[in-house]
Amino acid sequence: MQQGTPLQQYAPSQSGRRAGRSGKKIKIAHRKTQLQTRLFFTAAAVLFLVCISFLDLSWKQFHQGISSMPDIASKLMTISFEPFVQLVDGMLTSLIIAFLTVVLSVVISILLSFLIAENITPVKWLGRLLRYVLLIIRTIPTTIWVLLAVASMGFGSMAGVLGLLFPTSSYLIKAFAAQIEESSDDTIEAMRSVGASWLQIVFKGLLPGLILPFLAIISFRFEMEVAETVMLGMVGAGGIGVLLQDYISYYEFADLAMGIVIVFITIFAVELISNRVRSKLARR
Amino acid sequence: MYNQTAVPVHHRQKKAKRLMSLALLAAALAFSIIYVKFDLMEFLSGIPLFIRFIFADFLPPNMTNMNSYVRPVLDTLIFAVVGTFISSAIGLVIAFLMARNTSPHPVVRLVLRGIVSFVRNVPFLVWASLLVVIFGVGAMPGLFALLVFGICFLARVYAESIEELDKEATEALTASGASYGQLIRHAIIPQFMPGYYSWTLFMFEINIRASAILGLVGAGGIGSNLKQAMDLFQYGRASMIIVILIVLILAVEFLTQKIRERIL
Repeated sequence: MQQGTPLQQYAPSQSGRRAGRSGKKIKIAHRKTQLQTRLFFTAAAVLFLVCISFLDLSWKQFHQGISSMPDIASKLMTISFEPFVQLVDGMLTSLIIAFLTVVLSVVISILLSFLIAENITPVKWLGRLLRYVLLIIRTIPTTIWVLLAVASMGFGSMAGVLGLLFPTSSYLIKAFAAQIEESSDDTIEAMRSVGASWLQIVFKGLLPGLILPFLAIISFRFEMEVAETVMLGMVGAGGIGVLLQDYISYYEFADLAMGIVIVFITIFAVELISNRVRSKLARR
Repeated sequence: MYNQTAVPVHHRQKKAKRLMSLALLAAALAFSIIYVKFDLMEFLSGIPLFIRFIFADFLPPNMTNMNSYVRPVLDTLIFAVVGTFISSAIGLVIAFLMARNTSPHPVVRLVLRGIVSFVRNVPFLVWASLLVVIFGVGAMPGLFALLVFGICFLARVYAESIEELDKEATEALTASGASYGQLIRHAIIPQFMPGYYSWTLFMFEINIRASAILGLVGAGGIGSNLKQAMDLFQYGRASMIIVILIVLILAVEFLTQKIRERIL
């Protein structure tokens, strides 16, 4: 009897049992989750319908676009090897812009990230202030930074490096600071108790253990950076993007196809290498 | 005894290795600087110029005529909603066809994987620019660019989170004779939901940022206003647009964070 009581609570009620016999399904889904799912999808659908009613897309434009597609596609298929050297040069420039940006940003970020990390920052309020500044820098899309740099410095790879420097550093500082905060406070406390200065704690105590995780972050960022520099050329920051933009605006699709292939291969290779580097670092 | 001799040798090797990599880094750096004719002095003197440019020419933002910004902001939001909705629907189908444990046939999986990785690895602005050539300037190429990128991005991350799911539930259902549809409905989807929500919300955030950029190649949204203002040297207007953009992005991030906390 004692065992019966809890069981009875879970037993289906009379009506439920009847329903079971007539072949009706027994609901097994979690009520709250189901409700949430429905709410999410209803809200999304309503939002979507409202938005699509505001969107004025013309069928004529769509039709024209679709009808011009086979022509462009066939032009893209006649891939031309003529601009190969030029494109490789552009791609190399893009890679170099990414590389220089990452190197400069790493130098800046290593210094600043120790100012920001909660557990080691020498001046608390400054660290917090910097955090907000970095948040704003990170919020502005990279392309806009480059646009600003191009406006102040003129076209070229230097403007690209300058424009990329801000978002890259702020990303790296944040990632580095998170890594520093993760490392245990024991080292800091131990070194502080024997009278080490801030610089000694940072360079002798923390940095040696942080190099491997930092390298993983850097290789990840480099991978992003390469894709970013290709795009940024399209707003005038040097590298292969400039060539691609030219080919597109002069309708040279055969050359463009070659450019797309080169970009694809390079980014794919960079991704593979950076993945390998990271898995190697993780194994250590 | 053995260890004592082994340790220093190992240590010395490590040191040599470190020196080697430092030398390689220096060589790469030197090559890069020469190749792009990078002038460090000019670059360093460019930084204060840049900062002065931002603070003197760019700020303060031009607050007049605020009404003219409403429509582009709305357009950007609409782009992002429509883009996210459609790409999450199509991306989901592709993800199920692409994930190792739910793919109907390995050939389908391989072909889709190839296409997705190709589209994803060519930067998104290239596709956007190409679509502008195809469809002409306006909202349409921007939306399609968001869709192309969004579908491929979501297909990949959805497929990855489907592949990471527990095998036990699927095995149990297969053992009890469930069909393919039942398997997906009862074993995959319930486990996959949290991943689906968080990636879809993330996609929405990306789309807001992206539609701000799309305007730069003539594909509509708030970016086209920015480009216009920059081209006409109306820096006060441009900085106002950037401020609006920051507020918009932060607001959307806050909102999605709240939704995430409620759902997950």
